[in-house]
Amino acid sequence: METAKQETITQPEGSQLVTFAPHVAGVVILVILPAFLSSYIQSVMTRFLIFALFAMGYNLAFGCAGLISLGHAAYFGAGGYAVAVLKLHYGSNLFWVGAPVGILVATLIAAIFGIIALRVSGIYFLLVTFALGQLLYSVAWNVSWLNTPGMQGIAGLSLPSFGIAGFTLNTTSFYYLVLLVSLICFYLLFRMVNSPFGRALVGIREGEARMRSLGYNTWLYKYIAFVISGAFAGIAGVLFGYYNYLISPTHLGVGTSFLPMCMAIIGGVGTFLGPVIGAAIIIFVELFASIMTPERWPLILGGLFVLAIMFAREGIGVYLWRLWNKVSYHYGSIKG
Amino acid sequence: MEALRVEGLSKNFGGVSAVDNVSFGVEVGERLVIIGPNGAGKTTLFNLINGQLPATSGRIFFLGQDITAIPTHRRAHLGQARAFQIISLLLNLSVVDNALLALHGTKPYRFKLFRPITHYKLISDKVQETLKALDLWGKRDELVKNLSYGEQRRMEIGLSLGLQPKLLLLDEPSAGLTMEECSGIIDMIKNLGLDITVIIVDHDMDLVFGVAERIIVLHYGQIIADGTPEQIQTDPRVKEIYLGIEE
Amino acid sequence: MEQVIINLLNGLSYGMVLFLIASGMSVVMGAMNIINLAHGVLYMVGGYVGWTIAVKLGAPFALGLLTGGLAAGFTGLVIERGFLRHLYRQTNEQVLLTFGFVYILTNLSLWVWGGWPRMPFTAKVLSGSIEILGKAYPKARLAIIFIGFVLAIVLWWLQDRTRVGAMVRAGMDNKEMTMGLGINLERVFSLVFFVASCIAGVAGVLGAQLLGVYNALGLEILLLALIVIIVGGVGSVQGALIGGILIGVIDAFGRALFPKLAMFTMYFTMIIILLVRPSGLLGRRV
Repeated sequence: METAKQETITQPEGSQLVTFAPHVAGVVILVILPAFLSSYIQSVMTRFLIFALFAMGYNLAFGCAGLISLGHAAYFGAGGYAVAVLKLHYGSNLFWVGAPVGILVATLIAAIFGIIALRVSGIYFLLVTFALGQLLYSVAWNVSWLNTPGMQGIAGLSLPSFGIAGFTLNTTSFYYLVLLVSLICFYLLFRMVNSPFGRALVGIREGEARMRSLGYNTWLYKYIAFVISGAFAGIAGVLFGYYNYLISPTHLGVGTSFLPMCMAIIGGVGTFLGPVIGAAIIIFVELFASIMTPERWPLILGGLFVLAIMFAREGIGVYLWRLWNKVSYHYGSIKG
Repeated sequence: MEALRVEGLSKNFGGVSAVDNVSFGVEVGERLVIIGPNGAGKTTLFNLINGQLPATSGRIFFLGQDITAIPTHRRAHLGQARAFQIISLLLNLSVVDNALLALHGTKPYRFKLFRPITHYKLISDKVQETLKALDLWGKRDELVKNLSYGEQRRMEIGLSLGLQPKLLLLDEPSAGLTMEECSGIIDMIKNLGLDITVIIVDHDMDLVFGVAERIIVLHYGQIIADGTPEQIQTDPRVKEIYLGIEE
Repeated sequence: MEQVIINLLNGLSYGMVLFLIASGMSVVMGAMNIINLAHGVLYMVGGYVGWTIAVKLGAPFALGLLTGGLAAGFTGLVIERGFLRHLYRQTNEQVLLTFGFVYILTNLSLWVWGGWPRMPFTAKVLSGSIEILGKAYPKARLAIIFIGFVLAIVLWWLQDRTRVGAMVRAGMDNKEMTMGLGINLERVFSLVFFVASCIAGVAGVLGAQLLGVYNALGLEILLLALIVIIVGGVGSVQGALIGGILIGVIDAFGRALFPKLAMFTMYFTMIIILLVRPSGLLGRRV
C-alpha cells in the first residue's frame, strides 16, 4: 500500500485532482446507477459492498501490516451473530442497538484472539488464526443459545429498523445505507493508511527488526492493526446480518475467512482499493457461476486464486493503477 | 559520566559462548572501536547492547540505568541508535518513506491514526534537512534498493544520526564501501559532537585508527585487550591474533 | 480402570493417524519452510482412492493403502512441481497457493466421488475385535497403533540416520551451503514433498477405518494436523508423534469425561501451549 497514494513531502497540487478522478467517478456511479436497476441487482451490489468492506478492513492487517490471517470470518460472523441473537432472543431489530453491539462483540473477540495469535508470527500466525476461527465455528455449532431451535444458525433475519414510525427500509434504501457506511469506512481506512500509524505498519511489514531499533513497539502496532481490522470486519458482519436472511456457523469458518484474502490478492494487496476491485471480481464471478455451474463455484474460486498467485501477484488493481497513471500523466499532472 | 557499562555480560547458544563474561565501560563522548576476527562475538555484543538478544547473564547499564531487561524499542527512546552490519533499510520503500519512519520512531505522534504522515511539519522539515545533508534529497522518491550500496550505507548512518541519539552503534560501517566512500564515513564520524558516544565494530584499519580513541579487541567472545590505539598496536597478543594483517 | 485403558487405546489409535498426517506436514514445513495446507485434502484423496480400490472394487485392503498413498503422492507432486516450484523462495505465496488447492481438490473430489460419505472400512482380517481386559476391542484400531509405531520408526530412521535425511536437515539449516555442496536441493524437496504426500494418503486409508471418508475431511484433517503441530512443535518426527499422541489421548479422555465439550479440549490445549510455549513442546524456536 506504499506506492499507491504516495504523499511525498512536496506533492504538486494539481495532480491530486486527477489522481482521485476515478475514485470520484466510482462513487458517483455507485450512487446513481443502482437507482435504475432491479432490486435483484441492487441486492448483489449490496453484497458486493459488504464484502468489499470486509476485504478492505482485512487488508489493513494483511496488506498493510503483513499479518496473514485466515480466520477473519470470526469477527465478521460475530457481528452478524450479534445482530441475529438480538433478533432471536430480544426481539430487537434496531440498527442503533445492533450495530454498536455487533461491532463491540467483534472487536472484543479480535482483541482476545489477537493476543493468542500474535504469540507467533508469519505462517504460524496464519495457522493459529485459522484454528481460532474454527474454534468459534465449533462454538456456534454447539451452543444452543446461538441457534434457532431445530437448525444450524439463526434464521429469520431481516433489514434493520430505525425506530422511526412509518419508516421501513427496503432493498434500495438498505443499499444506500450500506453504501454510506462503506464510504465512511473507506475514508477512515484511507486516513489510517496514510497516517504515521499506517506507515509504521508498512515499515513493520518490511523490516520489523529495524523498526524496533528505531523505537517502534512493533507488537503493539500489529495488535492494534489486528483489532481495528477485526472491528471493520465486524461492521461488515453487522450489515451482513441484516442483509442475509440467515446467519450460520459457515459465516464464522474458513470458507468465509478465505474470501477477503482472495479478494485482496486478486484485486491487489499493494493498492488501497485493490480489495474493492477483488470483491467486485469475485462477487461478479460468483453470480455468474451460481447461474451456470453452482456446484463448481469452489473450483472456480480456487482456480482464480491459484492463477492470481501464480501470474498476477500484485493483483489486478496494480495494473489498473499503472494504466491510470499513464493516462493522468498525459492529461493532467504537474510534475514538481 | 558513563554512557554505557557492561558487566559480566555473556551470551550462550547451546554449548557455545558467543560472548563470554565481557565487562567494560564507555564514557560519554568517547570513540570506542571494537575489533576482532570474524566470529569473535562483536555483532552478538551489539545485539545484546541494543536488545535484539537477551543476555544469558550479566548486566547492561545505559546512562546509569539498568537496561538489561528493557526491550529494544524502549532502548531507542532512551537514546540508542544502531546501524546494522547488513543494511537494514526498508529496501522496498522510498528514501523519503524510510526517512519519515526513522525520524518518527521516537516521537509521540507515531501512533497518530488520522492525519497523513506528511502533516507533521516538524518531522517533515527534519526529513528534508537530513536528506539534503546526505545529498539524497534529489533521490527522495527512489526505492532504497535502487540506490548504490555506498548511498545506502551513508543513508543508514545518516538517519541514525538524525535521531540525535546519545549512543551510536555502528556495525561494520565500512563494509563493501570504496576507499572514497569509506573516507566519507570517517569524516562523518569525526564531525560528530561530543554529546554523542560512538561505538564502532569494524575491520578497516584506516577507519579504526582514524576514529578510535580506544580499542577493545574481542576473540572467541572474550576481551583480549583494551586500551589506546598505540597500546593495541604494540600488544603482542593482538599481533598474534592478527598475524599477517597489514597495518 | 478398564475404561481408562480403553480410552488410552482409543486416544493412541486416533493419535497415530494424527501423527502420520502431522509428520508429513511438519517435515515439509521444516525442510521447505512452507506449510502444505492441502495436506488434509491429500489425506482425503488417499482415503477416497483407497475406498474405491478396497470397497468398490473389492481388492485387498493393503492394495487400497498402496494406491491411496500413491494417488496422494502424485497429486502432491503435481502441486509441487507444477506450481510451488515456480514460486521459489516466496514462502508466503506458496502457502497461500496450497490453500487454493484445498478448494480445487475438494471440489474435484466432490465431482468424482459425490457428496455422500463413505462408512469406515477395513481389511477383512482386521474386522472384528479382540478381547482386551474383558472388553471387545476393534482389531483395526490396534493395527493402526502398530502400523503407526512402525512408520514412526521408519520415518525417524529416515530423518536421523540416512543421507537423504541428513540432506534435508542440512537444507533446513542452511540452504546455500547445502546447494554449494552440490546437493540438488530441488530434487530433494520434490522427494520430501512426494513422500510426505504419500504418507498423508496412507494415513487417509488407515484413518478411514475409524472415520470413513467424506468431503469435509480436507479442512477437518488440516485443522487437526495444525493443532498437533502447534502443540508438538515443528520440524521433527518426534514432535509430530508427541503432539499426535497427546492430542489423541486428550481428545479421547475429553470425549469420555465431557462429551459435550467435543473438540474444545483440543483447542484448549492448543491455546495453552501458545500462551506458555509458542514453539511447541519439541519445536525449534518460532
